[in-house]
Order: sequence, then structure tokens, then C-alpha cells
Amino acid sequence: MFSSFHWQIIEEYLPLFIEGTWMTLKAAVICVIAGTLLGLVLGVGRLAEARHGFYKYFLRYAVQLPVRFYVSFFRGTPLFVQILLIHFALMPLLINPSGGLIVSGDLAREIRSQYGAFLSAVLAISLNSGAYVSEIFRAGIQSIDRGQSEASRSLGMNYLQTLRKVVLPQAFRRMLPPLGNNAIAIVKDSSLASAIGLAELAYAARTVSGAYARYWEPYLTISLIYWGITLLLSAFVEHLEKRYGKGDAR
Amino acid sequence: MIHVKQLQKNYGNAHILRGIDCDIAESEVVCVIGPSGSGKSTFLRCLNGLEEASGGEILVDGVKVNDPTIDLNAMRAGVGMVFQRFNLFPHMSVLENLIMAPMQVKKMSRKDATLVAEKLLLKVGLLEKIDAFPNQLSGGQQQRVAIARALAMEPKVMLFDEPTSALDPELVGEVLTVMKALAGEGMTMVVVTHEMGFARDVSDRVFFIDQGVIMEQGPPQQVLGEPRNERTRDFLRKVLL
Repeated sequence: MFSSFHWQIIEEYLPLFIEGTWMTLKAAVICVIAGTLLGLVLGVGRLAEARHGFYKYFLRYAVQLPVRFYVSFFRGTPLFVQILLIHFALMPLLINPSGGLIVSGDLAREIRSQYGAFLSAVLAISLNSGAYVSEIFRAGIQSIDRGQSEASRSLGMNYLQTLRKVVLPQAFRRMLPPLGNNAIAIVKDSSLASAIGLAELAYAARTVSGAYARYWEPYLTISLIYWGITLLLSAFVEHLEKRYGKGDAR
Repeated sequence: MIHVKQLQKNYGNAHILRGIDCDIAESEVVCVIGPSGSGKSTFLRCLNGLEEASGGEILVDGVKVNDPTIDLNAMRAGVGMVFQRFNLFPHMSVLENLIMAPMQVKKMSRKDATLVAEKLLLKVGLLEKIDAFPNQLSGGQQQRVAIARALAMEPKVMLFDEPTSALDPELVGEVLTVMKALAGEGMTMVVVTHEMGFARDVSDRVFFIDQGVIMEQGPPQQVLGEPRNERTRDFLRKVLL
């Protein structure tokens, strides 16, 4: 069976696969960073509460509630649908040569044709991953013993100082494994962006299979590339866990 | 230094504190004793606002603790607290544990904060552990570091919440020695404890709290030696057995 493989197809389209890999990596790195930052903000917002007065109600109804709604939407609908919604519905509204809400005119035309799919994919995947990461942050923050923040507050440290210096550094260690899983999911889910024409790995395989009507070679090739990337990523996360796991007594 | 009037604390329908009244003078050492669930820890935690009082008045060094408009953080900076479970920050060295709050809250330089920390570690006998991490220390050593950490903010009042209850018996003495020295220097201290020996020898007054009120209070000789209240007698019979 393997003797009938036509590996020269891959050789012929090698630049396409290399560019696809590069695009997948680029999109994944941006999405992991943006998703983690967004998740941090959302996760903290989800837990924000105050004892008294204006802030009590402000945090409950203007921060907590919208965050819960956001997380619920992005976890409750398929990422594929979110990508399509953002690319074909939201983006034309925001960036449009004739009357886009953010950019219009020739610049909009330029952006759409050059970076349209990339922007949409990165935006959709980042927003989606922010929702998942916020739950990782929430669980991580809540897993830290109350005594830790009580000790910090009793020293006169305020809420944000306590979060930054005491809670998050400890929570981060516990969050590394789920954050690693999330990064791996982003690498794999970026393949969905081939549907809106982003020239990443899955798109390369589609192009090749379309040209030759051969399916084993291109899809096996990109499978191996994805696998290699995710293996490297897990090894990196494991290294981080070892390095930052010190000093955690509990 | 501390003035408490009709302090109430409810958790839902449970009335934990049912009207505590007391005055604690500067340099006074007060030990709070009582059965578990009597509200003595809750009383202590209300004093620095870790628990929010449901009613009544708390004044610490002239600051109304349960007034929502005050800066609770500034008030807490002047009130040290030591916990039953130490609550050292496990991801920081002993030195970092001591200098974090002075640097963050008081904006001290690292150099100045380190000088203060070294002085305090010398005082609690742990200067050689300055670079150790909490999980490398015994329980007694951790609690002494926790005391030094609280002292690093130069508080006017120190609150102790059962500071020796989580310790192996042979480690209790070293912590009590440090606390005794602190009392000798004139620190205002409120100590929730089961160490009757410490209460008898070190405190100026003993509060016996039961069912959310101070049932009996007075000099240790009186409260521990000749208790007038039937409940105090009953409690002391059980713990001194």
C-alpha cells in the first residue's frame, strides 16, 4: 500500500506546506498570548466582588454578569460557527471600503484582501480561547487557600497587590497543565480557519488534495506536522512545570 | 487602643457574636479563651476587618473598623495578625515573605525593608533561615517567621489566632517565648489561645467568651484561678484536666 504513495507530490508543494506551518504557528502564538491575557481579565472580572455600596452592584451587574454571558456564549457555540460569524458578518461591518465602523476606504480594501482571513481567524480563536482560559484562571485562583489572601490583606496589601504578588504566582503553577492543553487545542483548532481561506496547514493539504485528488499524502503529512508541534508544546509545558513547581508546599 | 461596643456578627441565621463589649488599653495583653465555636476567632477577625461586623462599633487606634468609608488597607497595615496555620507565602523565601508588604504598602526600598527583616529575624532567632523557603522550616519556625512578617509592618496591635494550635507539642514553647518577649516590649496583643499557662503568666486580662458574649473577664488569677461564672468553671475543668 505504501509503495503506491506519491511522495513527490509533497516535495512539489513543499513551499506551500512550509508557509502553511509558519502561518499555523504565527496564528497559534498570537491566539495563545491574546487568549491568555483576555482570560486573565475575564477570570478576574468573573470573581470581582465588593462588600459595599456602588461597587458591590457595579461589579455584580456591570462586570460579573456580562463576563458570565460572554463565557457562556463562546463555550456554548461551535468555534467553527464563531469563525464564520466573525469573518462573514462581523468583519464586513467593522472593516469595509464603504462605511466600515473601524476602517473604511482603500485601507479597508487593502486590509481585507491581504489580512482578512488572518484577522478574522485570530480574533475568533482568541475570543473563544479567552472564554476557556477565564475558567482556568477562575479555578486556579479559587484553588489557592483563603488563608493566603487573608494573610496578605492583614498586612495591608490591597486586592490587586494580593492578586499579583500572592495569589496569581501560586495559581499560575497549578494552571500550567490546563493552559498547556489550551495552547495545544489552539494549534489544532486553527485548522478550522482553512474554511475562510487562511493559508495555513490544513489549507495547504486541501490545495494539494484538490489538485491531484490524492488524500493520504497531504493529510498524513500535515497530521505529522501538527503532531510534532503539539509534542514540542507539551514538552515545553512540562519543562515549565518542573521549573516553577518549586517551593509549593501544599 | 481597642474599643468594642455591642459587636454583633451573624452568618445567615446563626448569631456568632451577640454583643461583645470591651476596651483594651495600649500595651495591654489580653488572652481570649473559650470553647470551640464560641466566636472567639470571629471576634479577633472582626478587629482587623477580615470579617465584617453585622452590628456594633469597633475602634482600633481611633479608626472605625466597620465604617465602609474608611481605608481598610491603611488600617490593617497598623494591625498585625498571626494565624493558626501560619499562612506563609510558599512561593517566596523567608526574606521575601518579610519584605513584600513593607515594599508594596509602605513603599520602602528593598534595602531598608531587608534591614528591618534581618533585625526581626534575629529577634525571633531565625536569621540563618533568611533564604529558606517555608516548606523547609518546622511548624514552630514557620510561625516565628509569620510573627516577624507581621512585625515588619511595625504594627501598633498584634492579633494572634490560636498561634500554637497547629503545632506539635514540642514546638509550642519556642513560639510562646517569642510572644512573651513581644509582650515584654509593650506590644498591645490580643491572643486567642488554648495555652492556659501563657494566659496565666503573660496576659494582663483574660476574656472568657462563650455563646458569642464575654461571659467573664478579669486578671488571669481571677478568671483562671477563681472563676465566678459557672460556664467558665465548666470550661476550665475540661481544659485543665
